[in-house]
Amino acid sequence: MSDATIEVRDLRKRFGRTVAVDGLSFTVQPGTVTGFVGPNGAGKSTTMRAILGLDAPDQGTALIGGRPYRDLRTPLLEVGALLDAAALHPSRRGRDHLRWLAHSHGLPTHRVDEVLEQVGMDKAARRRAGGYSLGMRQRLGIAAALLGDPPVLLLDEPVNGLDPEGIQWIRTLLRRLAAEGRAVLVSSHLMSELEDTADHLVVIGRGRLIADRAVADLLAAASGDRVRLRTAARTEALELLAREGGTVTVTDRETLTVTGLPVERIVELLSEARVPVTEVGAHRATLEEAYMELTREAVEFGSSPDGEEVTP
Amino acid sequence: MRSLHAELTKLRTLPSIWWLLAATVVLMVALGAAAVDSVTSQACLSPADCHEDTVKLSLTGVWLGQAACLVLGVLSMGAEYSTGMIRTTLTAVPIRRRLLVSKATALSLLTGAAGVVAVLASLWTARLILPLHGSTLRPATGTVLCLILVALLGLSLATLLRDTAAAIICGLGLLYIVPLLADILHSPTWQHRLERWAPMPAALSIQATRNLDHLPIAPWPGLGVLAAYALGLLVAGSVLFGRRDA
Repeated sequence: MSDATIEVRDLRKRFGRTVAVDGLSFTVQPGTVTGFVGPNGAGKSTTMRAILGLDAPDQGTALIGGRPYRDLRTPLLEVGALLDAAALHPSRRGRDHLRWLAHSHGLPTHRVDEVLEQVGMDKAARRRAGGYSLGMRQRLGIAAALLGDPPVLLLDEPVNGLDPEGIQWIRTLLRRLAAEGRAVLVSSHLMSELEDTADHLVVIGRGRLIADRAVADLLAAASGDRVRLRTAARTEALELLAREGGTVTVTDRETLTVTGLPVERIVELLSEARVPVTEVGAHRATLEEAYMELTREAVEFGSSPDGEEVTP
Repeated sequence: MRSLHAELTKLRTLPSIWWLLAATVVLMVALGAAAVDSVTSQACLSPADCHEDTVKLSLTGVWLGQAACLVLGVLSMGAEYSTGMIRTTLTAVPIRRRLLVSKATALSLLTGAAGVVAVLASLWTARLILPLHGSTLRPATGTVLCLILVALLGLSLATLLRDTAAAIICGLGLLYIVPLLADILHSPTWQHRLERWAPMPAALSIQATRNLDHLPIAPWPGLGVLAAYALGLLVAGSVLFGRRDA
């Protein structure tokens, strides 16, 4: 499965006057879960449709294992895709939906039952799809993606609308699929959904690449030299640290985030001034924070950050 | 062949398809029987001096059966667009022309099978009421082909328009409104033209067994007119389908 990759090179696609994807390039490596993140309307779905040969790009290429999707002889054995879980005929049984897909590639019926069991849909699949919950549709869609046991997986917002149990299930599944050596590309407009799941992130905004980095790097960069402290005397601590050259941000009712001062100096200053402190520690950024930092300029529908910044 | 298997499975696993195939048979037999029965009491007092084209009459039911076939053809593609399943379909079969050919073949096989049952049942029912004169081979085969072509017309319209309702309206218009126009127009020239070049009255000349010299268009060329409509639109649909983003 080593050559199983998704390669997007200089992809451009416009719809009328709107440029959906604007010179996007990135690669998805085997054995990793790559998160494909961006605000709504950033061009994620258009890119995925271009990779799957559904939309013809105006410029650039999208290749799977070095070939365009339309050239794949047995596409389901090479790429598994979940684009829109709701795209089912309401009066067809879930199992029959997988059966026609299996027949399109000459796959045996027992493969259908295998993937249904894998996603926990073996009983529900005997009912008509019209009565399925969103979670059941997502599971059936994932079963369809897994049908051909493909080395590359492409999932568009797979956790959208799932309950916490379903989200946990998908996370575990994605980790396992990557551990088996598959290249997994999973899109989301919520960074927190990808925390603990993605190894690598491709962040886009307005159809352009904003970041293409390992999650660990991204977190380290966003964490910086920040110190987080908890105190009942917020105002005194804030004034003292700001006076000594720190940049202090109020993050909560009792917590402050300080940059520009080392932890030792902060502890020293606060104890000299007898400001009561209950907790001091190096701050570890969440993926959400890292993402907000990256997309601050690129977001189409931005909102103001909730921390107030105080500088001396 | 695999994509044909997939398309057959797709059609077979929808209950509405079976209802439409059953409707084709029931409507054809019922209308055919009614037409033949109305003749026995009025025009043909005894079978010997009956001058009606009884074979054509027994197959009159095609006027209703074709509607079910049209809807069947439209649904085979229209449902792909209304449910969004077209994207799943195209990821499984990315070569669009192959997909459309598979769909058309699957549709032809199912409507053809229902058509054979409907035509045989119509002829058998008619024979219980009246003796049929002349050879039934050409009218029977032609009627089955006619139903297949109408289903393909539906498929083509749905591929072109990507909308079930719009495709059904256009299809019904082509099949029923155009023949109605022929009755409304007073100009015999235009009546003649419509009878020759509108898909429906033209195709049904294939059912005629008597007065072949007086038909507006000969049997096989008549069926050819419908075939030209269906296949012409199918080619147009195929070209657009190949170019459009899904």
